[in-house]
Amino acid sequence: MHHTSHRPVVARSRRVLPLVAAGAVALLALAGCAPGSGGGGGSAPTAISTDLGTKPVTLDVMVTTPDVTLFTALGKAFTAEHSNVTVKIESQDYTALTTNIAHLLSGTDAPDVVRIASFGNLVKDKLVTDLDPYAKAYGWDKWPQSQFASTRIASDGVQRGSGALYGVGPGFGLTGVYYNTALAAQIGMTAAPKDLAGFEDLMSKAKAAGILPFVQNGKDGGTAYLLQNLQMDYAGSTTTVQDWNNDKPGANIDTPDTVKAAQTLQEWATSGYLSPDVNAVDQTQAPGQFTAGGGLFFASGNWQAPGLDSAGAGKFGFFLFPPLKAGGDYAAMTAPDTLAVPSKAKHAAAAAAFLDFIQTNKQARQDTVDLGGVVPAGPVDGSTPTTKDGSVVGATVTAFNSLLKSNGLVDFMANATASINVNAIVPQTQLLIANQVTPDDYAKALQAEYTRELGQ
Amino acid sequence: MGTRGRRHHWSALLWIAPAFLVYAGFVLVPLLQSVQYSFYDWDGIGVATFTGFTNWVDLFTQPQLVRAIVDAFVLIAFYTVLPVGLGLIAASLIRELKPGPFSTVTRAALFVPQVIPLVAAGIAWTWLYSQSGLVNQVLRAVGLGGIARAWLGDFAFALPAVGVIGIWVMLGFCTVLLLSGMGKIDPTLYEAARLDGAGRFHEFFAVTLPGLRQEIVVCITFTIVAALTSFDIIQVSTQGGPGFQTIVPGVAIYRLSFLDQRVGQASALAIFLTILVLAVILPIQRLRRER
Repeated sequence: MHHTSHRPVVARSRRVLPLVAAGAVALLALAGCAPGSGGGGGSAPTAISTDLGTKPVTLDVMVTTPDVTLFTALGKAFTAEHSNVTVKIESQDYTALTTNIAHLLSGTDAPDVVRIASFGNLVKDKLVTDLDPYAKAYGWDKWPQSQFASTRIASDGVQRGSGALYGVGPGFGLTGVYYNTALAAQIGMTAAPKDLAGFEDLMSKAKAAGILPFVQNGKDGGTAYLLQNLQMDYAGSTTTVQDWNNDKPGANIDTPDTVKAAQTLQEWATSGYLSPDVNAVDQTQAPGQFTAGGGLFFASGNWQAPGLDSAGAGKFGFFLFPPLKAGGDYAAMTAPDTLAVPSKAKHAAAAAAFLDFIQTNKQARQDTVDLGGVVPAGPVDGSTPTTKDGSVVGATVTAFNSLLKSNGLVDFMANATASINVNAIVPQTQLLIANQVTPDDYAKALQAEYTRELGQ
Repeated sequence: MGTRGRRHHWSALLWIAPAFLVYAGFVLVPLLQSVQYSFYDWDGIGVATFTGFTNWVDLFTQPQLVRAIVDAFVLIAFYTVLPVGLGLIAASLIRELKPGPFSTVTRAALFVPQVIPLVAAGIAWTWLYSQSGLVNQVLRAVGLGGIARAWLGDFAFALPAVGVIGIWVMLGFCTVLLLSGMGKIDPTLYEAARLDGAGRFHEFFAVTLPGLRQEIVVCITFTIVAALTSFDIIQVSTQGGPGFQTIVPGVAIYRLSFLDQRVGQASALAIFLTILVLAVILPIQRLRRER
């Protein structure tokens, strides 16, 4: 039987093993000592230019897959103005781009413009270009500066909100609450709630009428939108969240307001305002359930608006999460569709011209709303894209513009650090909703993970 | 050893060289680099700082990482124990079938999960497990609507639910391997057992099981490695949730290296996982030898 042949093989392999190990160690020694190459290239270009010349240039733009339609249109519009520049759009899935970006930008074939999900260590590792010189050349520094707050990063590479500008984009996301107009009519809801109590009243009416108050995606963090809005309501200010998001030294989210917000969200869950399977629903399933009439409210972002409009005009409405007391300040979460210019970009000047174009050109701004569902900011006198009357896209654009003036736009807590969302916000909110963690411990856990991540 | 043996030795090395260089370049060097990274604090791009055993100490002191390792062992029950057990039963039953279309179709149906990409399988199973998915529809149809739930979002059932996907994937592999093993067993042994008055039950334990020793060890080894290093199904179906219920080492390593950009910590966990896998599967190899 062939079994007998096993022993000698094992014995021989034992003799070879040290040899193999020794060889491998030698190979490793050749590869050098400490991992990492040290600083990359410089980040700020020495001399910048706004002149694109006449030589043919191919601008390599890397975006996420759902944005390809928008950027293809933007690229065509740009080429129409600068005939020597061809815009080549490439795309990766959002998660793939997030995971690959550092290597993509440090490699030899870096794109000229890239969509950034999170800056992470990109600034610290000098992989992206300081855009301030371009901001000056193109006059972005004369625009409302709050739109650039989340993409300014201090020289430590961590703190946001101040420092050099590393990203701009065609438009901004905006969160609020969508409602199903038919279901709203059933419970006698005629206008958007003016305060939190009014909002909760509608939820309880819906529940009593056998209508699920919220369709929400708890699997990937949609429930945390409610938490953040409740936090800002109870705090009566956005400062705590803003400081936390900007990684300001000493920022702390473990406050009585956060605990109270967690308590309210937990009560909503126990009252049946969220579906029992909320933690298993992701952001591809939730809009489907909502358009199918699965519930009265859906707290989400303006990126859902074009889809909801195409499901039927007038079927859905949009309002901003109401303040604690009627007449109080409204606040909503926003994040720019950030584009950056890699330090290794071959055509930085053309890249900057493209970024200027998409923020200011009338057609580009219209495309941004129509194809991307997000709202352009840009200069004070920038063209206002037109939207259909009664569309939710129109409602989100109006809401965005009013919040831009009242400073009610706040970044997502999920963006405070590169991994706070998956490591704390999503799982802890799931635990909270399933009554597996107390509101007190919830607030503590968020802060603990935040401190741990920033302490690294 | 004479000169002849020696020459033989050197030419052997020459033959091994091409494969060895590829193996060294793509397996051994990265493996040793990971060992090295595990002693550094490094984001994968910038300057690395030597931190000694910090990453290794963190492995055993951070509850989330400890939990990931425990979860992996729970998965062994689903990826290994049940598929091998059920595979033995399935293979015995299929062996009894007359060769023909029915036996071929049965075999193919059991093996299909092996050829479906795990990511696609993960997506399909999230649909099956959803509140209105097939699993709950069936439960409601047979009057068990009371236990219907969003399985992957349930704190008690998420890990077992993921485990069931593992059974589905592994069962076909085990069955087909065991079946081919059964084909090699000398039929006269069965005949002898029958003549000695052994029933089906006795026959299974006296002839089939000992004859499948090799195949069973291969099944156990393969499935344990799959259980301890599982990643794709879980990343797709639960993303580690709800809460921290289904964080396994694979998911933790992915998050540490690509989201946290803590390549050192990720390497420490990866190397520990490798050691763990070897520590579990090497003793099992002893079972291959005939007693």
